[in-house]
Amino acid sequence: MLNITLYDSVIACLSLLSSVAADANAAEPSSSESASPSTFKPPQVFKNANLVHVISLEKNFAKEAINVLIENVSTEPQDEYFLPFTSSQMERVGGFEVKDRKDPDVVGFVAEAVEVDPSSNLQYYRIRLPKPLAPNGQQTLGISFYYLEAFTPLPAAIEQSEKQYLVYSFSAYCPSSYPTIKQKTEVKLPSSDIPDYTIIAASGDEKEFPVKQGSKLTYGPFPEVPAGAVSPAKVRYEFTKPVTHVSQLERDIEVSHWGGNIAFEERYTLYNQGANLSAQFNRVKWAQSQYFNPQTYALKEMKFPLKVGSKDAYFTDAIGNVSTSRFRSNKREAVLELKPRYPVFGGWKYPFTIGWNADSRRFLKKKSDDTYLLNVPLLEGPKQAEGVGYEHVQVRVLLPEGAENVKFYTTAPESSITEHNVHLERTYLDTIGRTVLTIKARNLVDDLRDRELIVSYDYSTVAILRKPFVIFASMMAVFTSMWAISKVDVKFSTK
Amino acid sequence: MDSSLLEIWQTAPGSPFLPTVGKGSQFLVGFVLLLLGLSLTGAFALNRSLVTLPVLGIPASLAIAYGTVYMFCAVGVYV
Repeated sequence: MLNITLYDSVIACLSLLSSVAADANAAEPSSSESASPSTFKPPQVFKNANLVHVISLEKNFAKEAINVLIENVSTEPQDEYFLPFTSSQMERVGGFEVKDRKDPDVVGFVAEAVEVDPSSNLQYYRIRLPKPLAPNGQQTLGISFYYLEAFTPLPAAIEQSEKQYLVYSFSAYCPSSYPTIKQKTEVKLPSSDIPDYTIIAASGDEKEFPVKQGSKLTYGPFPEVPAGAVSPAKVRYEFTKPVTHVSQLERDIEVSHWGGNIAFEERYTLYNQGANLSAQFNRVKWAQSQYFNPQTYALKEMKFPLKVGSKDAYFTDAIGNVSTSRFRSNKREAVLELKPRYPVFGGWKYPFTIGWNADSRRFLKKKSDDTYLLNVPLLEGPKQAEGVGYEHVQVRVLLPEGAENVKFYTTAPESSITEHNVHLERTYLDTIGRTVLTIKARNLVDDLRDRELIVSYDYSTVAILRKPFVIFASMMAVFTSMWAISKVDVKFSTK
Repeated sequence: MDSSLLEIWQTAPGSPFLPTVGKGSQFLVGFVLLLLGLSLTGAFALNRSLVTLPVLGIPASLAIAYGTVYMFCAVGVYV
């Protein structure tokens, strides 16, 4: 057991004092993190009139939502709002989305990471508002994002049947580049078993923060806090579920016009980032525990709800076919249930491959004579109650040979897409090679598994007929050679 | 990223793409065409002349060409 509470309370109090001291110069950040050399400072043109920071730790990634009422305090209309992150957070943040909380019809927020000073520990996401905010104008933003690899197990090594506890570090003040008039931070946890959490001095009616209500901790409401102020806090809570992390997912989607088929294949490099085993794995104990089914932090089963109509599913790993899988496909659902070859405990790795086929009519539309539209899910990973985080995702759409003018759009957050390109790749019966659209994304989570990927491409009749034509030409060459060779006279002369 | 694609997909007329030969009949079509192609090849092999080259060679090549493509699909290699 780590006594983090007292230590962190002291840090939090110091931080509170320093932020009060920094009040004289509101633009000066109070934390040591933000004190690192930085040439860029967002212009102080906004203030946060009211802010609610919700940290959800119910899954094995952290979901943060910042609902903030921003006000333009400058004399000019403003359209750029900055949100600070430390460089360590910047590597792990993903799924960044912005909405207008009051008016869902307002669209067109553009969120992107800005690299102004790579050496600085403080980096920013820039949110471009769809319309500049007039002086004294207000707008309610709903900002949401995820942190992967956000937790550390404590103790770091436990027994096979013990409970697992995770630690999450955050700031009781929502990190902001602007002064915040009123704010509170809510931490939602998976259970009410929370042995340690940072206690800080309170203001108003409360004696100390946080206020604990079941599985929820509430820090605040806090009075005015200057820009850049942080109050480090930690929470340690029970999470006896696998901390599933996919470090690399390669997803191939192969479109066949001749066969009327879309073939999917996914290659996972999966880790459990939970607590390690403190002793050797005991197979007998594990088998025994399966009879009374206690909660475990080992990953023992995964469920992949695929699109209705999926068929021919397979599940293999480095050794070969894994027989502990079940595929149920009917008119209403197509669920692939897998049991890994061994229970995946903390610190263990399990690379595996799954694949399946589907009819093209469910995903492919003919838009006009030569133009086709493909709509497939960007992610179709396991749907687990405890969630799954994906660090690197590579989606390859293998279009038919000769497809050109490839365009794509995904409903997943644009800031998650790091790279995309179109190139050629040769497979069976190809001459010039298939057109392959590769999309690379970072830090995705299974909450985004229903996001669509729409690809449009041109595929002419001439290109369609390339495959049979090449075989036809080859066969004609064979027949002509047969005929030509038959004309060669190789008999011995009788003269 | 072309954001207009989402709208285009939603408004595109409901004409799902269907292949010329459905998945269920790919094996039959592929097998029959390959058999026909091989028979014609055999016929050509017995009587090789400038006349039989187009008369038997072209239909044999066409049958083998389409037969090969459909047989590939029928065995699960969706080209």
